Amino acid sequence: MSKIDIKNLTVEYSDKNHSFKALDNVSFSVELGEFVSIIGSSGCGKSTLLSILEGINSPTDGKILIDGNPISGTGFDRGVVFQHYSLFPWMTARNNVAFGIKQAKKELKKDERLKIADKFLDKVGLEEFKGKYPKQLSGGMQQRVAIARALAMDTDILLMDEPFGAIDAKNRTILQELLLSLWEESKKTVVFVTHDIDEAIFLSDKIIMMSTRPGRVYKEIRVPFKRPRNRSEMIGLKEYSDFRNKLISLFYGDIVDKIGGSKVVL
Amino acid sequence: MTVQKRFLRVTNILFVVLMLVQLLPDKVSSETHTTYLIGFAIVLEVLALAASILSKNENGLNLSLDIIGFLYALIIVWTLVTAKFNVLNEALFPPLGKVFWQLIQDIGKIYVNIKSSLEIIAQGYLLAVVIAIPLGLFLGWSVRLGNAATYISKFLGSIPPIVYIPYGIALLPTFRSVSVFVIFLATFWPVLASTMSGVLNVDKKTIDSAKVLNVSKPTMLFSVILPAALSQIFIGCNQGLSVSFILLTSAEMIGAQYGMGYYIKQYSDFGDYTRTIVGLLVIGAVIMLISFLFNKLQGYLLRWKQ
Repeated sequence: MSKIDIKNLTVEYSDKNHSFKALDNVSFSVELGEFVSIIGSSGCGKSTLLSILEGINSPTDGKILIDGNPISGTGFDRGVVFQHYSLFPWMTARNNVAFGIKQAKKELKKDERLKIADKFLDKVGLEEFKGKYPKQLSGGMQQRVAIARALAMDTDILLMDEPFGAIDAKNRTILQELLLSLWEESKKTVVFVTHDIDEAIFLSDKIIMMSTRPGRVYKEIRVPFKRPRNRSEMIGLKEYSDFRNKLISLFYGDIVDKIGGSKVVL
Repeated sequence: MTVQKRFLRVTNILFVVLMLVQLLPDKVSSETHTTYLIGFAIVLEVLALAASILSKNENGLNLSLDIIGFLYALIIVWTLVTAKFNVLNEALFPPLGKVFWQLIQDIGKIYVNIKSSLEIIAQGYLLAVVIAIPLGLFLGWSVRLGNAATYISKFLGSIPPIVYIPYGIALLPTFRSVSVFVIFLATFWPVLASTMSGVLNVDKKTIDSAKVLNVSKPTMLFSVILPAALSQIFIGCNQGLSVSFILLTSAEMIGAQYGMGYYIKQYSDFGDYTRTIVGLLVIGAVIMLISFLFNKLQGYLLRWKQ
């Protein structure tokens, strides 16, 4: 039994005249402690897929099993980091984390919650910024707080919807490394949505590549690099560039197929 | 800032002019109580000097000195056209010294009347806010009820609350309870409407990030939706507050035995326009103070927005 089993998921939006399949018969599974990235160009339904995993949306057809039990709605077994607006702007960084802990662990007293919040904010390197409101933090810092909150809630599964999509390139690599080290320490099961191939390779055990209109699983690729990973070492390997090229040709190959094969020059 | 910038100001020159003007002989028959006017001007000048010494930023200092300067100019003109040259009707336009003197004579009476007015406002207003906000959160959150409620509150809210007064008098035993009732209505509808629209305008992403934290329904309403909608809710609260003052003072002029509206109406009926002006100034000062405190509260509760 896998940690997460996604079975024949279909999502169809329809109005009077049109119906549109955002997801078409999507199936894959995620093992316990595995880091899985879902990659695809915009419109491939990767965010729709994640919102169903989060429990915010429900599928037209198919189901998701966690530990063998079908999910309905949100649950305490899943923590979520969005690209934007994960944090509540009226709460300080510390209270945002403590608020998450309060929902997940009602038995804890307030000072215990704050203590855990502090611990996780320290882990993401925000010792100095605990009392700041989200508006006073940079985008990268806000995502650190969101990660700290998701980790502090101590859920089995971490769902991340393009969490670094709006972060500048330099900070993005720093955050990727931070996430990886935190993941190696906590051994959570992670489903990570991205459109960045390098990000997916560096972070994941497995990459689910999706194709557009309708959203389908196009390829499931295992990432062959050993852990713990070191970015600069990895980038130097011939295997890395081969693997990356293979992914890119798959990625763009899919697009070429969709819009008219070899006649189109990209 | 240089010493010149701090102290060599038009405001200070106006203060000297104001003092010199007082040296002119009075042309009116009644007592002008000039000492009270001078006392008031000295208090203002002490404030101006304190601001000049203590202020660290130039814009802030400019603002306070400009305000005081305007007051001086107004006092100078007022003194010239009343006490000194008697251009205006003496009974309708009393010299300012007399107004300040009257204010101090009546301070006990004024206190009782303000207290009565503010108690009524506080009761009606707070009761309305305490009921309208949770109700608005609940109605705004449940889409179906909210849609229906919007139409109903639009209709009921469009009735000017003052027209409830005659019916209120028939329904309720005392003037006081009628006033509380009318202020309640005047506040309830705008607060309910602004709360409901505030809830509808909360960003879906904010709601989603609360949902994925598995918040309970009360937590969703009071810890997420309420703060997210708060700046919109304050719009209704502000509106309710200003309408409440208009209503209460009008109502007090109709049928009360206490209150600031009563104070003004009573003395203007007797032709005592000095006290009428005292009443106007006091009401202005009280409302300004309350809206200042209200804005402070709003700024504090929405401090995360800056």
